[in-house]
Amino acid sequence: MMKHVYSLILLLLVLPACHTVDEPADSPDSNFEALWKILDEHYCFFADKDIDWNAVHDRYAPKISDEMTREELFDVCAAMLDELKDGHTNLSSAFNTSYYREWWSAYPQNYSARLVEQCYFNFNYLSTAGLQYGFISDNIGYIRYSSFSSPVGSGNIGNALYYLRTATGLIIDIRDNGGGDLTNVETLVSHFITEPVLAGYICHKTGPGHDDFSEPYAFYYNPAPEGSVMWTKPVAVLTNRSTFSAANNFASIMSLLPQVSIVGATTGGGSGMPFNSELPCGWHVRFSACPIYDAQGHLTENGVEPSPGCAVDLDPLQALDGHDTIIDFAISLLTSPQ
Amino acid sequence: MRRVLLLMMAALAVLTAAADDDADVTALRPVHSAYLLEAGGSRLADTYLSPIPYEGIHFGFTYQRYQAMKFSPDRWTMSLTLRLGLDKTDNRARNSSMWDLSLTADWGMMRRYSINRWLTLAPGASTTLTGGAIYAAANSNNPVSAKASWTVNFTGLATARFHIKRLPVTVTYRPTLPVVGAFFSPDYGELYYEIYLGNSSGLAHAAWWDNYFLLDNLVTAQLEFGSTYLSVGYHGSIFSTRVNHLTTNIFTHSFVIGIAGEWLSLNPRKGITERARVIHALY
Repeated sequence: MMKHVYSLILLLLVLPACHTVDEPADSPDSNFEALWKILDEHYCFFADKDIDWNAVHDRYAPKISDEMTREELFDVCAAMLDELKDGHTNLSSAFNTSYYREWWSAYPQNYSARLVEQCYFNFNYLSTAGLQYGFISDNIGYIRYSSFSSPVGSGNIGNALYYLRTATGLIIDIRDNGGGDLTNVETLVSHFITEPVLAGYICHKTGPGHDDFSEPYAFYYNPAPEGSVMWTKPVAVLTNRSTFSAANNFASIMSLLPQVSIVGATTGGGSGMPFNSELPCGWHVRFSACPIYDAQGHLTENGVEPSPGCAVDLDPLQALDGHDTIIDFAISLLTSPQ
Repeated sequence: MRRVLLLMMAALAVLTAAADDDADVTALRPVHSAYLLEAGGSRLADTYLSPIPYEGIHFGFTYQRYQAMKFSPDRWTMSLTLRLGLDKTDNRARNSSMWDLSLTADWGMMRRYSINRWLTLAPGASTTLTGGAIYAAANSNNPVSAKASWTVNFTGLATARFHIKRLPVTVTYRPTLPVVGAFFSPDYGELYYEIYLGNSSGLAHAAWWDNYFLLDNLVTAQLEFGSTYLSVGYHGSIFSTRVNHLTTNIFTHSFVIGIAGEWLSLNPRKGITERARVIHALY
């Protein structure tokens, strides 16, 4: 009997110890290894981007030394993260935030807010809850949504659509929209669908292995509640390379609706929903953790392409004459007989 | 078969004892209530939010109620514990905070054994519902790790009564150790957004010591100055889970202070018979 009691006591002492989370040391080597391990166990695009993360470790680990300053350590860590070529991956310290910019800096910007506001609206437009809207030429309605981080309600969208109800077509401008909250994507999409639509698939890591993923889970968006203002006329969604993350998801969902054309340039991607973690020194790291696939099961991490025949760049010379060639293309598309 | 017979005999003995109690005297069963505030230190770690443990302060409020049970007041005590806990912790670099809020409700039954005139032991069992969340302020898409569980526990009460000079003192020790149950956890890298979208598979897990460990210890010394008692003591809790490659640690150690007392509800129409007998819940 006493033998069982001793075993029970031993078990009680040992079990919680098995779960203990130890405090790692705060040294350059420890911080570097912690960063590498966080990405190794949680980052979701190693296979899709064909990245050999062990080889990356071997390239950067020799650059770490106990004598290096915090700034030098940060630069090495940031360079290692740049190997992921991921706009959702940042390292944040008190003195700097790393950011991989080539996903957009290597492409034409294709957007000028001043050009649109001055030459198409003469600075006279309506604005609510992150939406700017009004009529532009040829009886075309225009809505600009510059960030999916701006909370927008169904009522705000309904008001804008009701104001534009006499327009023959609608432009939704999400160029330079760097993303935000996916629930705002759902709210906006819901005014352009009349029945539930397959919006895409989401999956997540189930363990630290590079191939440990859950089965993709299909998710659907429903139309806006009955009585809401809906839009079923033609729509052109304007995109550029800086259309990223949640805005990229919006473009991928809208691209599959029959009345919608994606006009402009390929979006910037960012289809991995980010997670946050941190290093022993207190630096925070953000990285893509949960991939989202479009309704056809395709990964849009590298962007959503314009609809066939709708790839357009903003012509800088025409811009000098007050023309946004992407908007002009969308107007001609929406006003031409279908 | 022999075990079944033994169990039936035990049940019969309990029922007979209960009948005897009712037949002999009117049992007056005062409620022992305690309202306890606690403050101390906390260590939080939740690898869903961060691989780094956080340390800080812990506050809590506990309402505890004991009463001899009606069916066999000389032997059985019922307990009810409601506890609200709040932890505020920081990482070592002091640039990030993590908060933990938890609400616990525990109901249990304990069989009292009087070892001698000053010591009573009461082993028993309880069931607990817990809900709460750990919030990491620095995180964006994974800022919260929700906690919810239902467990069946070993528990017990050890009560020692003595005097310091002429002051009656009651020292109680109440450990609680969950044995089985169920608890909530998201998958390793699963965002709550995916759960919001409707994917609820794999969120509930059977709990046992390998993946869910809690040892809660409350020691109080009740100084019986008058009809209201001063209660001081220590509350320590070791909570640890590991599931889906995710580990959570919540370790708290607190100083406890509060008031306690015994309350008796009487029906004025019936009054108290001469054969009435007060049966305390703790001893």
